[in-house]
Amino acid sequence: MAARLGFDDVQEGDELAVRSLFLSKDQVRAYARAGGQWSPRFTDDEGARREGLPGMITPGNMSMGLLASFLEDWAGPGTLRRLGTTFRGLVLPDRTIRLCAAVTQKDETARSIELDVWLESDEGERWVLGTATLALA
Amino acid sequence: MPLDLDPAIIGQEFDRTVEGPVTAEELVAFARALGETRPEYTEPGLGLVAHPTYCVRFRGGRFYPESLYKLIDVRRGFDAGKDIQLGEPIRPGDTIEVRSTLHEVYEKTGRTGSMYFVVIRFTLVNQRGDVVAVVDNRFMHR
Repeated sequence: MAARLGFDDVQEGDELAVRSLFLSKDQVRAYARAGGQWSPRFTDDEGARREGLPGMITPGNMSMGLLASFLEDWAGPGTLRRLGTTFRGLVLPDRTIRLCAAVTQKDETARSIELDVWLESDEGERWVLGTATLALA
Repeated sequence: MPLDLDPAIIGQEFDRTVEGPVTAEELVAFARALGETRPEYTEPGLGLVAHPTYCVRFRGGRFYPESLYKLIDVRRGFDAGKDIQLGEPIRPGDTIEVRSTLHEVYEKTGRTGSMYFVVIRFTLVNQRGDVVAVVDNRFMHR
């Protein structure tokens, strides 16, 4: 088991280092297959356009998954206890996205922390907003 | 209640379906598709557990209660967001019982008119009776 972040290592107001990543169409298709969401809107530009979309889009579930991995890369596997998200915009693949988070609250009794999390475009437009709870040692 | 919906159906379980068993291959493929390389999520063996968002794969046998299909055009819905509360980790070999309830229905008025939000709660329970996750799925309909 990889090292986990300690409760005392974190302060309210801490911001995680932003992670930029290029989200390819092939990666989105791989997620759609593995996530049981094989549908034209997630796999094929033409099929997505027939549904009135500008092209294939990233499943909201995948955005959640990327945010979850981002948080656990920072705090350690098994630390995520809750993740709530609102899907505000279409996350279009074949472009760079940014994963961001900031600590908003510490709970001494539960040894847990609350964070604001979001996924944004390279231009800073927030497409997915959320909050998370992590349990720390 | 924004729709002509019987309030008594809020909170009622409308489906219970057992899915699985979960395989190690499925767990690894899911984690790798998210770019994961950590052994806890990608290496088959005793220590393998599901990525924390694997729970969103489970959707039960019926997505909405029957009475809702008469009031909402489900084909015109959008996934508006999710809230997952995690319990015991999912492991290879687990079977998952999906208990579906209509958790909430509410209306919002925006610039483009009224929108209805339907929240379906999936409570996921493994074969040992442990809750592995509670997943609230929020869908928006016009």
